[in-house]
Amino acid sequence: MTIPLLPLNDLAKRHPGLTPALAESYLEAARVCLDRHHKPPQEFTLKNRASEQQALVEWESPGERSRRAWANINDATRDGAYACALAATELSLGLFAIRRAETLTGADYYIAPSNNLIIDLEDCLRLEVSGTNLDIYEVQRRLNIKVKQAQEGKSNLPALAAVVGFKVKLISMRSVEGIS
Amino acid sequence: MSWIMHHSKSEEYASQAQAALKQGNEKSAVEFYRLAAKEEELAITKLDQSKTRTLGITAVSATSLWFKAHDLWQAEHVAHQWLATDLLPTFSINQLQIILQAIWNEKNYQQVGIEFMKGEVLVSVGGGIVVPGGAPLDLILRKVDEVRGLFYRTIEYLLNLPLRKRGVPSADIQEQFRPWLLQAPLGSYQFAVRVQKPAQLSIFPDKTPEVEDVTQNFLKIVEATAEETHEELERIVPNPEYREAFLKLTRNLSPTGKSFDRVEIKSTTDIEARPIIFSPTSRQAINKTLKENKKPPKEVAEFKEEQLNGVLRALHLDKDWIEISFPGTDRENIKINQTGDIIDDLVGPMVNHRVIVDVFVQPDGKYLFRDIQSEE
Repeated sequence: MTIPLLPLNDLAKRHPGLTPALAESYLEAARVCLDRHHKPPQEFTLKNRASEQQALVEWESPGERSRRAWANINDATRDGAYACALAATELSLGLFAIRRAETLTGADYYIAPSNNLIIDLEDCLRLEVSGTNLDIYEVQRRLNIKVKQAQEGKSNLPALAAVVGFKVKLISMRSVEGIS
Repeated sequence: MSWIMHHSKSEEYASQAQAALKQGNEKSAVEFYRLAAKEEELAITKLDQSKTRTLGITAVSATSLWFKAHDLWQAEHVAHQWLATDLLPTFSINQLQIILQAIWNEKNYQQVGIEFMKGEVLVSVGGGIVVPGGAPLDLILRKVDEVRGLFYRTIEYLLNLPLRKRGVPSADIQEQFRPWLLQAPLGSYQFAVRVQKPAQLSIFPDKTPEVEDVTQNFLKIVEATAEETHEELERIVPNPEYREAFLKLTRNLSPTGKSFDRVEIKSTTDIEARPIIFSPTSRQAINKTLKENKKPPKEVAEFKEEQLNGVLRALHLDKDWIEISFPGTDRENIKINQTGDIIDDLVGPMVNHRVIVDVFVQPDGKYLFRDIQSEE
């Protein structure tokens, strides 16, 4: 059986919530993060509560200029995680970034099937993304934080939480019901 | 025009602002955020108010965009306008309240002309004699002093300066990077620290990206010192002198378990960041690494090793000695020589406090310095 490719390239063509420039920037950050730990190609595990699948991740090694531009490891991890998480929701769940809305420290992406006619955000899921360069324990811990936040009603959910573990080659997703 | 059309325009401007920020063009980013905020405000006016979820998300977005456009008055106005209605869902009320708090903080700083660098560190001291919201003043003053010392060391390290063994940081460093102590929410006992933005970062041209992210680098280094082993610290701080200094500074920060048993350090701007925890075990791990790295010289192999528990009563590091007293006992003060590699900001906060000093005792009864740590 052929392992499907994680669709990291040309995200803006399929995700209307992304501009081409932003999608390219997220992809560049993802390359820097992936290259920090691995040589391409690599098999990643895409996991959610119901299922688990493998996906092949291919990327071009970033040049020195890209590495310098993404010297801030936090920014690179956050933005690189957006690229990987959006590609994973597309591949595993058929969901695409439809809209974005600002928050105090960044932006939230709202996801839905791409053929939906979106006139507001009432039925979209909010995508909660986090990235880490640490171990599996950290991926799990972050996912638990997202779920806890949802249960405490602190987030504008329902949402889909996705945590990208660059080092451990794992993208873990879980849908969380909100109290709004 | 509909909600979706205004919102789409707002998204486009916000994306351009983000791209401008990435290119270091803050002025352009602020202008794009301003345009995005205007469109988002227009979007709300076109929304059917029964769509509470979309309304809440858009109100938060508009307020955030004005905040990012540095228009605090408008951000506050939008937040109050929507909080005054009963139309918003709970999640957006919570978010707007958080943004309002950030607006008020920012306004206060602006009034006195202060700008901070990215990031904020929250330090919590807990356990033992520390109660929620309260702790002995001398203990907290010392922890504040130790955290300040660590910040300055991080900045000097990022600037590739030689390890400072004597005196305070240079006037340039103190003027340009001033750590601030901020109020923190009630916890075991907590204080927050941010570094004031240098007026002239351009005087350190080669190191701007690293220094701009001083708080993150501080957290990385501190986290690496708190690990059970210190391989990661070796990787991020290859300079052995600095590595030793960081280990000794964080060892002082760590509890012995006598008066308190936990120090937690975490970023308040990255809510997902794992807190860095120092416990008595961390102190033992640091001691182990320091001991392994510092084998006694051959000529003192026959000297007796001893550990002194007392109060650091006097010191003259330029003349290479410290003096320990033993209150409550008949034991006379002991002068310990050859303190060569002690650094000032490590030993300074220990004066008149209980310390543990590792020494070699020569056959003639003289004491030679090996290591010192606080006994708190």
